[in-house]
Amino acid sequence: MRLYRTALVVVVLAACLLAGRATAERALLVLSEGVPASLDVDGPAGNHDPSQTGFLNIIEPLVDYVVGGVNDDGVQLYDFTRFAPRLAESWHYDPDTLTWTLTLRRDVKGCNGATFDADDVLYSFARAKSLSGVAPVGWFLGNVASIDGFTKALLQNTQQARAARELGDEIQKLDAYTVTIRQSAPNKLFLPALTIYGLGIYDQQTMQAHATAADPWSHGYAGSVNAPSFGPWCVERWRKEEVFAVKANPDYYRGTPYFDRVIMRAVPQSANRVGILRTGKAQFVEGLSPKEYAFLERSSGIKVSGAYLNGSLILLANWKSPPLDDPRVREALAYATPYADLVRGAYFGAAKQWHGLIPSEYPGYVRPAATYRYDPERARALLAEAGYPNGRGLEQFAEAFKLSYALDRENTLGPVATQLRTALRRVGFPVQLDPLPAVQLADRQLVKKDLPLSLYDGLTPIGVDVAYALLLSFITPPAGLNNMTNFSDPVVDEMFDKALVEPDPALRHEYLASAQEVLARRLAFLPLAEFEVRWATAPDLEGLTLHPTQSVPWYPLRLGQGAP
Amino acid sequence: MVSTRSGASVSSRLTAVRSVAVYVGQRARHDGLFLFGLLVALTVLFLALFGELLAPYDPREATANVGMPPPPLKDWPQLAYRALTGQLDAAPHWFGTDFYGLDVFSRVISAPRTDVSIALGGALVSLLLGTGLGLVAGFYRNWATGLLVRASDVLQSFPVFITAMVLVALSGRHTGNIVLALCLVYTPIFLRLTRAEVMGQARHGYVEAARAAGVRPWIIAWRHVLPNSLVPALIQLSVTIGFAIILTAGLSFVGAGVQPPTPEWGLMISQGAGDLNYGWWWPSVFPGLAISITVLGFAALGHVLEEAFR
Amino acid sequence: MWRYVLLRLGVAVLQLAALAVVVFFLIRLLPADPVARLVGLNASPEAYAQSERALGLDRPLIQQFAAYLGLSAAAPGLLQGELGRSWVTGEPVAAELGRALPLTIEVVSLALLASLLIAIPVGLVSAAKPKGGVDRAAFVWGLFAGAQPDYWWGLLFILLFAFTLGLAPAPLGRVDPLLVPPDSITGLILMDSLLQGRFDVFLSALHYLALPVLTMVFTVSGAIVKMVRQNTARALQSEYVLYARACGLPERRVARYALRAALTPTLTLIGIFFSVLLSAAVTVERVFSLNGVGQYSVRSILDFDYPAIQGAVLAVAMVALLVYLLVDIVHALLDPRLRG
Repeated sequence: MRLYRTALVVVVLAACLLAGRATAERALLVLSEGVPASLDVDGPAGNHDPSQTGFLNIIEPLVDYVVGGVNDDGVQLYDFTRFAPRLAESWHYDPDTLTWTLTLRRDVKGCNGATFDADDVLYSFARAKSLSGVAPVGWFLGNVASIDGFTKALLQNTQQARAARELGDEIQKLDAYTVTIRQSAPNKLFLPALTIYGLGIYDQQTMQAHATAADPWSHGYAGSVNAPSFGPWCVERWRKEEVFAVKANPDYYRGTPYFDRVIMRAVPQSANRVGILRTGKAQFVEGLSPKEYAFLERSSGIKVSGAYLNGSLILLANWKSPPLDDPRVREALAYATPYADLVRGAYFGAAKQWHGLIPSEYPGYVRPAATYRYDPERARALLAEAGYPNGRGLEQFAEAFKLSYALDRENTLGPVATQLRTALRRVGFPVQLDPLPAVQLADRQLVKKDLPLSLYDGLTPIGVDVAYALLLSFITPPAGLNNMTNFSDPVVDEMFDKALVEPDPALRHEYLASAQEVLARRLAFLPLAEFEVRWATAPDLEGLTLHPTQSVPWYPLRLGQGAP
Repeated sequence: MVSTRSGASVSSRLTAVRSVAVYVGQRARHDGLFLFGLLVALTVLFLALFGELLAPYDPREATANVGMPPPPLKDWPQLAYRALTGQLDAAPHWFGTDFYGLDVFSRVISAPRTDVSIALGGALVSLLLGTGLGLVAGFYRNWATGLLVRASDVLQSFPVFITAMVLVALSGRHTGNIVLALCLVYTPIFLRLTRAEVMGQARHGYVEAARAAGVRPWIIAWRHVLPNSLVPALIQLSVTIGFAIILTAGLSFVGAGVQPPTPEWGLMISQGAGDLNYGWWWPSVFPGLAISITVLGFAALGHVLEEAFR
Repeated sequence: MWRYVLLRLGVAVLQLAALAVVVFFLIRLLPADPVARLVGLNASPEAYAQSERALGLDRPLIQQFAAYLGLSAAAPGLLQGELGRSWVTGEPVAAELGRALPLTIEVVSLALLASLLIAIPVGLVSAAKPKGGVDRAAFVWGLFAGAQPDYWWGLLFILLFAFTLGLAPAPLGRVDPLLVPPDSITGLILMDSLLQGRFDVFLSALHYLALPVLTMVFTVSGAIVKMVRQNTARALQSEYVLYARACGLPERRVARYALRAALTPTLTLIGIFFSVLLSAAVTVERVFSLNGVGQYSVRSILDFDYPAIQGAVLAVAMVALLVYLLVDIVHALLDPRLRG
């Protein structure tokens, strides 16, 4: 009898302990407009914000930036001048042979128990070079970083080009934990490119286990099942457009994450994300509109934090759409823009006017001499000077004054566009609004480059470097891949070419500074505002870090002292 | 012989019009529902013509006031007095302003021009097309008209909203394309109604008699069968206008409707929907009420017509 | 009877085939180029061409159509029951629809069931006692809620029941996001949770589906009441009821005959309103962030995701036609006149 009773007590105690353990599990519920659509870096989701969150948290890079300081909101900021070792423990550059030697970290275990070594690096670069995915992001970064062999010629649809898509001797394995990578030219963008998920490292063993004859690089597997890597999180449950749940990788080399589990839930409507956050069920919400953050700032029990980095609002005026190619018309647009009203009325103060065309937080930014302020009289004078007094004569360019923006950004860009339309019409510009579905907008902005006038708040150079930002948006195509306004200036091109290969930091800075002056003077596009990237969280959530993708790494997140 | 018949038909039509007018007058005096429907329809038509002229602010231009709540009701008489006597620098924002800085009142009263003209246009074109095709399909029954009916069945069996969305996304977000989408959705309904009615009429003795008298079939169809078959379609028209308003606004709600900042109720609801959660009710509640009342008005009219003609 | 069923089935298949062809060619007239979505930041002409090849959009239209049908040897197509892969997510469209469609069917069926449960008794009573209290209330209800925008009432219900009264959960989807949903067997979460004994999920799903179902019931029940009332009134005025009454049959028995005659046409309502609700699902799902086929259609249409649009249109049409078919068959079983 006694024995039974003891046994019963033991069982009950054990049950209580187990139950206690179960409730003590630390879970983080993240609400976002979507969940990753793909974890294949060369897949179709490169521009999709929730997918970037997936890449950032699942796929481990070789190199990262060092976390520098903390701002008033408690947001950790990177120091973009210093690099931190991740899967690469250290590196060495030999300028004579243009070769980087990376020493890899030992005893790193992935989610499936695989151990990281040089073969994983070789596999990941070979995959990038294979151009087998629908959007060759890995190849693009290799090309930007001047990795030898990652050339434009590979893209051609010839037998020769296809043969050249195999990894050659530009990347070599010296031993299990040493790899060399050779560049084709000196290029300062090598380390910044390695920080970007597109050159992140997949777990070769698991990836190849899921390869098929038709899909030797496992795009299908990475695109909808799992992206095996060596990061802090392992994919647990993933239902597209619904939920993306990860559990902590207990073997993670930087230490087991604070949260046992992170559940990312797609709640497409931002108002619903706010509603759920206010019920206390979710701890982290992203992608809200400025007015929603402004509202939440005033409500109790919710913390809104944010930081400036590369959030920017620009007006893209196409150089190939008359009369927008007239410098006086461009300047008139710049003077007709009510910057302070936009900051107040559309961003509720969480923004500032942007002077220059490079994010002001980026190392190497200079405030240019040419800056603009709201001055409608001057705008009218400039318009008259250009031959359109009070806008007379502009009606023949009705198509050029259709102001476009992405339909799915209505919450944020709708108010900006409406207020801008009102101000520009007062000066005489016959502006109409034309929100377009994201695909159509991207098609016309990035591919056809025939969109005359559009608002854009997604220009985020992920490589935090003035030269990278220049290359993306301002260099004469075809080199300037993302040059949405058909801007071309020989001085800017020349300064960029010089800066790219310049070993002396002071000189490099000088070249990049003079390029920035030209951009602002000629108004390559019209910089309107820099805004804070913000999140709304439970009040005790700490460790938010602003990453250049504007996604948040979940690893440093933890609940603070006040946590229950 | 022919002239006598057409003369008789004209005079009988005149009598019909007169009796309808008398009936409308009587109903309006006694029937609250009918009066309500009539008032709503007339108000909405009036606003469609003059709403934008009456608006105190340009319904497309942002003011400096963003997200300003409407003045409390008790201040309205005083505000109205001061506004009328010119004591105010700027007109009051009766319904507040939305988070675009637009005046909600001006937009609500300017919207009928868009909503009602699209809905009316869509419904009327559908009526014309549908009754025309329905007449043909009911009167001449052969493989071609059979195919027509089958095709309209396919269209009708398909959820209207998705059809409309594909069409508008396909052809661009322009007013004309929305009208086109409405027509594709509603024409089959009129076609089916008219065809059924025509087939019913065709069984009546007078058609057979006319045929026997050697009157050409299209004359029988046009002069005799059509007027007698129009009733259900006309009743349906009022209901269709209501549904067309809902559909037009719904397209804007999911992002496939008119371009902002066009004053349009569905667009306003869509833009203000999120604000409801923060207690900012005015950007979406006023246009929502406007749609609710308008649609209810047309439904009431439809009901009264249905009762009257039965 | 079998002949009738086979005939109807054949017509439905033909209709679907016609739809598949029309949709394929129609969406290729869209004024945008979906390739741009995929190439994004590195949109050099070479990368663009590379993506275009990867999607097969560089081939002539007729070849694309052959591939879509599954006539080319490279990959299975429509004839093999394959809908292709989504260009945005890279997943098979059939798999994505397999997740989206059950949710919509679940919500729509629940809403229809609830509407009928309310509407049939109300319609019967109001027809039996014209101008009575129930009749007047039903009339006002039918007039008011007969045509109201569901998206607007859905928002009001959220504001009232979720955020003000706290009776319903916030519009978070179909089940509490912190619960681990049961394995998918039928895809219908209420059924799956019951089959696996997950009563927590079952209750949570009921709770989460309450408001969307309420919204749909609100906007269609008025019209259903009106139609049931009409059918019943017509039956009560019919000659055989008059005859039955004249014969002195007890009122109870007369009512039973009338009921049967009134409810048979009500069957056709199921088909009509199922289709109406499928259409309403587009806006209602958006309001309540439910990832059903309505949201899927909106997303794929606005994204120009051709395979997804084709798949969604076909799936929705198929469900609608199937319901019509079932209703017609049941109708024919009850009413032999229709089999001819």
